[in-house]
Amino acid sequence: MAHRYFLIISLCGLLAACSADVSEQNNAPYNQSFPSQSGGTFIDAMPSDPSSLIFMVAGESASSAITANIFNTLLRYNKDLDLAGELAQSWQVAADQKTITFHLKPGLVWADGRPLTSEDVYFTWQLIIDEKTRSPYASDFQLVTKAETPDKLTFVVHYDQAFSPALDSWAGLQILPKHKLAGQDIHTTSFTQKPLGSHYYQLKEWRHGEYLKLERNPKAVLGQAQINTLIERIIPDPGAQFLELMADHIDSMNMDPITYARIIPSRPELQARLNQYKALGNSYTYLGFNLKRQPFNDVRIRKAINYAIDKQEIIDGVYLGLGEQIASPYKPGTRWSNPQLKPYAFDPQKARTLLAEAGYKDTDGDGILERDGKKLSFEVLTNHGNKEREKTVVIIQRRLKEVGIDIRIRSIEWASFITRFIKTGDFDAVVLGWQLGLEPDQYGIWHSSQQKPGQFNFIGYNNPKVDKLLEQGRSEFDPDKRMHVYHQFAEALYEDSPIVYLSAGYGLTAIHKRVQGIMNPVPPAGVGYDSQKWYIPLPLRRTQIQAE
Amino acid sequence: MLSYLIRRLLWMVPMLIGISLISFFIMHLAPGDITSTETAFDPKSSEESRQKLRALYNLDKPVIVQYGLWMERMVRLDFGHSFASHQKPVFWSEKDKDGNVTPGMIEEALPITLLMNIAGLLITLSLGVPLGVWAAKRYGQWPDRSITLFNFIGFSIPGFWLSLLLMYWLGVIHPWFPISGMHSLNYDQLDFWQKSQDLFMHLFLPVVIPSITGLAGITLFVKNGMLDVLSQDYVTTARAKGLSDHTITYRHALRNALLPLITLIGLSLPGLIGGSVIAETIFAIPGMGKLFYEAVMMRDFPVVMGILTIGSALTLLGNLLADLAYAWADPRLRKGVMPAR
Repeated sequence: MAHRYFLIISLCGLLAACSADVSEQNNAPYNQSFPSQSGGTFIDAMPSDPSSLIFMVAGESASSAITANIFNTLLRYNKDLDLAGELAQSWQVAADQKTITFHLKPGLVWADGRPLTSEDVYFTWQLIIDEKTRSPYASDFQLVTKAETPDKLTFVVHYDQAFSPALDSWAGLQILPKHKLAGQDIHTTSFTQKPLGSHYYQLKEWRHGEYLKLERNPKAVLGQAQINTLIERIIPDPGAQFLELMADHIDSMNMDPITYARIIPSRPELQARLNQYKALGNSYTYLGFNLKRQPFNDVRIRKAINYAIDKQEIIDGVYLGLGEQIASPYKPGTRWSNPQLKPYAFDPQKARTLLAEAGYKDTDGDGILERDGKKLSFEVLTNHGNKEREKTVVIIQRRLKEVGIDIRIRSIEWASFITRFIKTGDFDAVVLGWQLGLEPDQYGIWHSSQQKPGQFNFIGYNNPKVDKLLEQGRSEFDPDKRMHVYHQFAEALYEDSPIVYLSAGYGLTAIHKRVQGIMNPVPPAGVGYDSQKWYIPLPLRRTQIQAE
Repeated sequence: MLSYLIRRLLWMVPMLIGISLISFFIMHLAPGDITSTETAFDPKSSEESRQKLRALYNLDKPVIVQYGLWMERMVRLDFGHSFASHQKPVFWSEKDKDGNVTPGMIEEALPITLLMNIAGLLITLSLGVPLGVWAAKRYGQWPDRSITLFNFIGFSIPGFWLSLLLMYWLGVIHPWFPISGMHSLNYDQLDFWQKSQDLFMHLFLPVVIPSITGLAGITLFVKNGMLDVLSQDYVTTARAKGLSDHTITYRHALRNALLPLITLIGLSLPGLIGGSVIAETIFAIPGMGKLFYEAVMMRDFPVVMGILTIGSALTLLGNLLADLAYAWADPRLRKGVMPAR
């Protein structure tokens, strides 16, 4: 894909050189700013069609991109990524930390005018924990031992023990209308094609595999969005998406670093009508070791490898500099990220010293270190088709060779990778990614109890101190105390170096300048935050929705 | 004749069962299932919920049992429901108790692909046959050479490259054609004539480009057939009789040269339902190719099996139709080979 993309881009350059500039004809005052105005149409592109518009069963990003405009949640993250109320006006955690009470805002309604009450919230909870519901996200809600609706505006949940990630889980559960879904089979209901929500937009039309059209919901519980119509076009190929952007048929697309850093800056006519945004994305790439195997059970080896890899080189080479080094599994600059920790420096000399300390020497002079006649050589797996990871491994290979470590690279198709290697624990090291979640709890990834096949601590990390911190963090609701716990947790991870944090890439977006009111600078919550305030001034609107 | 037809049709049943059995097992040989996709690799989801999902889809049962369950549904022509696409029916649309219709996945994708492929086949044939005839008649001269060169180029150019190039050229620089998609965003507000025009404009590039790259095969086929026939004795006889060149070429030679084309077209029948993944992905057209590719990547077994079953049934049917058409067109076969089968 990337090759092809590059090819077309270079071709575009070639052709453009001998062709008139098309975009000159449109001399709309894109740089002028206008007062906020309602109406207009915003056209976006995304690579795949949602499988369903009930997110709890769909679970993929295409679905959430649409449903986040249609359904509300009890809580949400504000622009600084702190929890705030959405449908809930307020919430209280009881003194024993086992009960959470949500107070809904008064006067909430669905788009059809029916009242939205705690009954709907209760119904949604029952739906997700239902045995027949095929939701991957049910487990957090199964911890609720009892839920109550003392009145129409109050929803109370009880847990067996204090469980602070619960708040995050309620911020992720989109509330569904009981009056539409009661008695229906969630998997076959036509609601998934024709949803009814309470948020800013309502689904107007869905042409499968082509586009979804959303229209403003006049009864939206959080007030009116400015833009009248949102169109999400399904364009799988990034090259085609870019051509549509060039032809001004779409207003926005997510880009890769080459488009962001090289192509758009080199084309003045695109630059004249596009704003580019970058914000740290929601995931990071890491090199993880199988800690149950030799030699990775030795912390000196892990640290040596960490020192031997130049992370900045990876960010520059793979992401054209559009990424950041991290020192903990949290977004830098957020509350959870420990500001005391600095990423492991690139220090090959230190790496060599550590390796020598661990007893590795190059006795036969072939450039590869040995101990007890065994070469320091291992295999790194990554998933096939992820170009960024494949390039990253090659850069790592070269740097490790310099300190006398030989690695072999193997890239494997995703499903085989997971079933044959990850689940069975049959690997030396992997290059993969994890989310930089908004919720600091990472029990599933690091707790020693989570090592069974199919669970996520597949590297076999086992540190009683970390276990304890993770348990503590899960049962603590006070943000400041939690922060302290997770800072300690990140520090312990840093000392153990069970994985090498390689890079956290930026999310890159281009949006047409006709769209105004975008928060600048981009808040921690991302460029799309508060998009209901975006507006397209009348003089800058498309005169008609063109043939495209 | 009738008994031959019945025998052939009956033979298709065990053939289909065999094909489905092999497809089913090969599909299950690929590691992983719907619960080991990239989106399922999320610490927020639990292994228990994945196990539950596996049990609900019967994926925890032995493959042979799963095949039995599938077969049991198939005899009722029930293609089942997709795993990945939220239980959408695989083939036919379904109505829920409120009367809302959920369209079937193949039902949605098939007409698009059929339309594109039939249009493409017609273009290929209507260009390929005359070009082949011309090349054969002017064998070794400039028309033959330039046609060969043109075909050679068409055949060697990667389709996606040509597509992106033309999308840029005819969509961005000279915006004559839409770049991607099947329908304009205001399609519903158009009248019938505008709708057809809209569809035509959207499908022009995705249909024409594969036809050009597919032209080489047909042209060469016709050319070689014609060359064979033109050197036959009966053509010499016809010439000796003083028949016009036109009559010889089109009445006597071409009809014979086209015989193998029947097989070719018969065999391309299953191809008509299998869209091209690359063209559909680049042009953002939700056809069969993309459906199948995505189903394989997601390990969406009911969809994969549904498409394979229809594909193999059509292949067998295409073979049969080709044989029948051949016999109808060629008296030699009707008398000799056919009854012997």
